[in-house]
Amino acid sequence: MAKGPDTTRAQDDWQKLSTQYWNAWSDATRKAFGANAGADESGKLPWHEGLEQWARMFDAGKAQNTQSETVERLLAGARSYFSLLQSLAEKGGAAKLDPQGWSDRVREAFNFPGADAALFDNPLARAMRELAGQGAKGFEQMMDSLQPAMREARALLDMPAFGYAREHQEHYQRMAKAWLDYQHETNRYNTLIARASRRAFEVFEDKLAERSEPGRQVDSVRGLYDLWVDAAEDAYAEVALSDEFREVYGALVNAQMRVRKHMQLEVEKVSNDLGVPTRTEIDSIGKRVHDLHRDAKDHAASHAALLAEVAALRAEVEQLKGAKPRAPGARKAPAKTVRASRKAIGKETP
Amino acid sequence: MEPIRIDPKRALDEALRAQQKLAASFKTLREVEDVGYGATDKEEVYREDKVVVYRYKGKGKPTAKAPLLICYALVNRPYMVDLQDDRSLVKNLLALGEDVYIIDWGYPDGADRWLTLDDYINGYIRRCVDAVAKHAGVKKINLLGICQGGAFSLCFTSLHQDKLQNLITMVTPVDFHTKENMLSHWTRGMDVDLFVDTLGNVPADLMNWCYLTLKPVRLNQQKYVAMLDILDDKVELENFLRMEKWIFDSPDQAGEAFRQFIKDFYQGNKLVKGGLKIGGKDVSLKNITIPVLNIFAEQDHLVPPSASRPLGEHIGTKDYTQLAFKGGHIGIYVSGRAQREVPPAIHEWLAKRTK
Repeated sequence: MAKGPDTTRAQDDWQKLSTQYWNAWSDATRKAFGANAGADESGKLPWHEGLEQWARMFDAGKAQNTQSETVERLLAGARSYFSLLQSLAEKGGAAKLDPQGWSDRVREAFNFPGADAALFDNPLARAMRELAGQGAKGFEQMMDSLQPAMREARALLDMPAFGYAREHQEHYQRMAKAWLDYQHETNRYNTLIARASRRAFEVFEDKLAERSEPGRQVDSVRGLYDLWVDAAEDAYAEVALSDEFREVYGALVNAQMRVRKHMQLEVEKVSNDLGVPTRTEIDSIGKRVHDLHRDAKDHAASHAALLAEVAALRAEVEQLKGAKPRAPGARKAPAKTVRASRKAIGKETP
Repeated sequence: MEPIRIDPKRALDEALRAQQKLAASFKTLREVEDVGYGATDKEEVYREDKVVVYRYKGKGKPTAKAPLLICYALVNRPYMVDLQDDRSLVKNLLALGEDVYIIDWGYPDGADRWLTLDDYINGYIRRCVDAVAKHAGVKKINLLGICQGGAFSLCFTSLHQDKLQNLITMVTPVDFHTKENMLSHWTRGMDVDLFVDTLGNVPADLMNWCYLTLKPVRLNQQKYVAMLDILDDKVELENFLRMEKWIFDSPDQAGEAFRQFIKDFYQGNKLVKGGLKIGGKDVSLKNITIPVLNIFAEQDHLVPPSASRPLGEHIGTKDYTQLAFKGGHIGIYVSGRAQREVPPAIHEWLAKRTK
């Protein structure tokens, strides 16, 4: 890839930033681990801020899609690790703590500055939130934008519907109820994820206790992070494979679909009013086209099979004709052969 | 004894290394081009709607007596079997003399909303098999079904066994109700009629979200922390990006086929319990009497080995072989071990049975 002046300047900027951040980081780390007692206050800078700076340097709008998305994903994924690094650096990575003490330290590390306070002590929920892609975020964002409309609709929930606009009112009542139901199911789901997070720290303590045996001690921050991930996944799997989770997950998906369905109906109503083709109409046409397409393929296959059968029969007839070459003066022989042939065919025909 | 004993110098080195890698990535991430995929040349031999059958071109003439058709899942793109030069199941099979074809399902859109399992199995797969047999000039071919494509291949074999010599299934779910099967567990509380009636085709992003939540911390955090290690290595970074591209290059799912697959396979477990009908015809694993090789991955989190292993108990054939691979659902195609172990196992098994 060719490097223009912008790229070179950006790279220089990064080098400067990197050096500054690097010194802060090095000093903080040396201080924490006893290698240098003279470090300054720069260790209080959130280390994951370095990641944010790094990502901004890429100017994601100009980077190729795959790379910019990867930068975004790395940014989301690596914050926890950097926070753990910083936490151990600030509070002492070589401290003598029991498994619960270490577990508390890791828990605190994940509640890093700038993180969503609603997700404190809930690293699994954060991992879910960090899922990238519109499939994950789209509906949530749509729900946020609907909040004001839903608050309006909620006021209508318990009012009796009557008169000219009765059907409209009932529709909005059903939609608001579906939305409330979705909120309820989301809360139940979030409660289970929070439970999995709590359980993750318990499992983590168990895993740490196992590492107290000689030769199994954790000797790196990455090793500690990886052990935490193992614990989090074990705890999550316990919860996710429970009957309760299955019921809640199903209820959440179903509730979300009901909300979407009501929204579609709303769009259909508006589209009808404006004379715009609706999803129902397009589905109906699509189904007919599909059925016709299938029929055409079946007919084509039948037609090909018939042609093959006719060709085979023709060949057979030709063969039969050719089997008894006419001898001069022996005119009746071919007729007998044909009759015999017809009989044979007749026997096979039900 | 303390569970954690982190040497200060080592921790400092770890922190410094992470920072250096980040700094180096500014150069490498900008240098890598948009990653391509597909190591092997191929030619189109059949096309119908969005479905295309390709034949891979090896360096030499195939020595196998019958062609091998790969039937991949609908939920991801089939180029995983030929991802790059040093990670290619196809390339290794060709080198061993196999004549390899593959079905590319394409990207379904609104026009495919009503495609059923009958359309896929009795329609597309049947016509693809016929096309490959015709192209190769043989009456019967070998079929290799992967993941969901393996489940489809089992159904197809049950219904059209006369078109096949041998069947190979890779990471294929058979018993959908084993206790480790998280995907299946989650789907059983879903109202799939409401789901499909609402969404129509199932968006790929939604499917990916579902897969990522199977192991949320490992797949959304740890994987990218591990990426730090390779940020200064252009080649490794390209490999990583290529894999990322494959993971998220997912087609939408045709609504009706999705509805049937979830109802009959995930919820009803009919491949094992019985009662499965495709296009009005009974599908039974007992009908399958041709030789079958079943390959599964021991660390598979999408299709647990417990879901694949029971095939031997339910299938009709007397010639059943099972191969447990040490790896995961993806590693079985792309790991170094896979390149060494899987293609030779397939080739040797086929060579003994193909006439």
